Amino acid sequence: MISNRLRLLLAGVTLCFAGVAHAAGFESPQDGVYADHIDWGMTADMSGPSSGAQNPWGQGFQTAMKVVNARGGVNGRSINVLVEDTRYDATAERVAYEKFVSQTPTLGTSGMGNSSAQTAMIPLIKRAKLPVLGTYTTAKATVEPPTPYFYGGFCGFKEMAQVGVGFFTDHLSLKSPKVALVRLDVASGKEFAGYVEASVTARGGTFKDIPIKVVAADATPQVLEILAMKPDFVAIHGVTTTSILVMKGLAQYGLTAPAFAITYLGTPSVYESLGPDAGKNYSFVSCFSPASSDPKASAAMSAAADQYGQGKLKDDVNFVAGWVIGNMVADAIAKAGAEPTREKLSQMVNAGFTANTGGLSSELKYTPTDHLGLVGLKPLSYDYGTKSFRSYGDYADFTKYLN
Amino acid sequence: MLMQFTASGFLLGSVYGLIALGFAVIYKATRVFNFAQGMLMAVGAYLAVTGSVALHLPVLGTFAFVILSAAVLGALIQTVLIRPLAGRPLLPMVMITIALSIILRASIELIYGGGGRTLNLALPSGSVLIGPVRISAIHVTAAAVSWLCMGLFMAFFRFSKAGLLMRATADSHEAAVLSGVNANRINALAWALGTVLAAIGGLFLGQLQLASVELEAIGLLALPAVVIGGLQSIPGAIIGGLLVGLIEQLASGYISPKARDIFIYVPLLLILLVRPWGLLGERELGRV
Repeated sequence: MISNRLRLLLAGVTLCFAGVAHAAGFESPQDGVYADHIDWGMTADMSGPSSGAQNPWGQGFQTAMKVVNARGGVNGRSINVLVEDTRYDATAERVAYEKFVSQTPTLGTSGMGNSSAQTAMIPLIKRAKLPVLGTYTTAKATVEPPTPYFYGGFCGFKEMAQVGVGFFTDHLSLKSPKVALVRLDVASGKEFAGYVEASVTARGGTFKDIPIKVVAADATPQVLEILAMKPDFVAIHGVTTTSILVMKGLAQYGLTAPAFAITYLGTPSVYESLGPDAGKNYSFVSCFSPASSDPKASAAMSAAADQYGQGKLKDDVNFVAGWVIGNMVADAIAKAGAEPTREKLSQMVNAGFTANTGGLSSELKYTPTDHLGLVGLKPLSYDYGTKSFRSYGDYADFTKYLN
Repeated sequence: MLMQFTASGFLLGSVYGLIALGFAVIYKATRVFNFAQGMLMAVGAYLAVTGSVALHLPVLGTFAFVILSAAVLGALIQTVLIRPLAGRPLLPMVMITIALSIILRASIELIYGGGGRTLNLALPSGSVLIGPVRISAIHVTAAAVSWLCMGLFMAFFRFSKAGLLMRATADSHEAAVLSGVNANRINALAWALGTVLAAIGGLFLGQLQLASVELEAIGLLALPAVVIGGLQSIPGAIIGGLLVGLIEQLASGYISPKARDIFIYVPLLLILLVRPWGLLGERELGRV
């Protein structure tokens, strides 16, 4: 005879199986959701001027998804990442987004590492309602005020400027810092310049804005301007070659003032290219931790990178960023329920969603009034002796500079 | 400041002159306006990465590897892509070089990945102070090697038998062929030389920053250089390269980095309007 308790247990198990079978049977093709898989879009500059940074980001994102799928996917469905190479082209970004909206529908999309495209696409994103979850860069216009269906996924320029200027001012015991900024003459460069200037002037310091072109063979004019100013420290915004040309130029002219760069420029390839002489004065601010700066937190990521042939990238802060966002996306899809749709996903994130990034980043949290996601940052440098990154403290140590 | 900008412009312009010379050699010999010259320069940077990082060659070995590989590539391009179109109108030739540039870019990205690669050859580093002017050792090395290559090429072009045949073919393709000159071989040699000159320029620019396909945009500054100097003039290409380097430094330093393009391309427009054969080129006269 079957006892009542066993009957109840059997009934429960049957109900559970029925529930899973029902969820697995749920399909919403217009949202990219199928019985066995979910289509998710990813746009990045896998080639083009920004590919040196965005390609590792894309690899990190895809590696995270491979691990998620190897574990059985999300609620019984695998995540199928549809990749579009947008080559730092705003038009290509728009075409890819529209493709994910209706041509090959996806539940959401990540990446979109072109701030100009983001700003221009705000009306389209509001209209099409395809969630953009975890971007490679975050244009000010998309999060101030928060754009519905748009959620950032990278350190903000305001926070980079505040932590960079604040930390170096204190670190060098300066009362009124003299800061030179070398930056690209693009939207994000102007935005960063505004934030650096605000942080410097708030401390009673002086600021000099020095633009440079994306494609430059030499930075002598910029370096001479820096020399004329004799700054206490230098801030750098640009692409990897910007940092290399400026730092090599400063070393050439014997200027040993420290420099800090935006997160994107804290890659091993920049330090390798600079060498110890020029690289010893070079730091960057980041909301992500490269593997060597925190081996414990990065253990799972490092193992996955090695397993999927991306071992060389695990110390690249952009790869870490892609990995963090990939896991955040999987987490968000899981929390959107067994029958996810674009609307449910966006509502869930907008209502208040905190991702577990395992210590690889500062807190990644969205609220109805904050779609930036990552706020905390820390400065890092590179130890040529041990070939590893070294952080100047924990994220919490630098929140005092944020306002 | 003026002396510093002038010195930097001269050193940078020397590398531009080398790349422009390669462009002019190809145009003079085969009348092909090679839009792939910038990407051939990027190929040179990646060949140097292969030589130094993958094959662990010493500096001179890397140079030899780059020169030999670029020469083979140039000759191959001429034999496979350019020769079959000999005598065809200008447009297909131009389209071929544009397609070649795209294919080379995609091939590099497939082989080496989308990002840039670090090139750290054991070349002189540090800087030297000459009066009020400070110049980096790597820039001086790049300029010195560029001038050496340009000198060797001028000597080859003027004094060697192959150079004489190249000049003869450039002056009159039909007359050279009728005189028994193997024009195909001479043209392949011109492409090999042009590619080698671009590749050496690429090696130095890769060393100065990163080996990257984005070097193409810098390499394409050879186009205004040769047009300003004179498409068919070998000295004109070198002078054009120097002018572009000087203009770039002075405009960036005294006005704005964005002014660079205006000050390079406005003279280009003026030259095309007023003296289309360039500063040192010769006016072509046709009998009617």
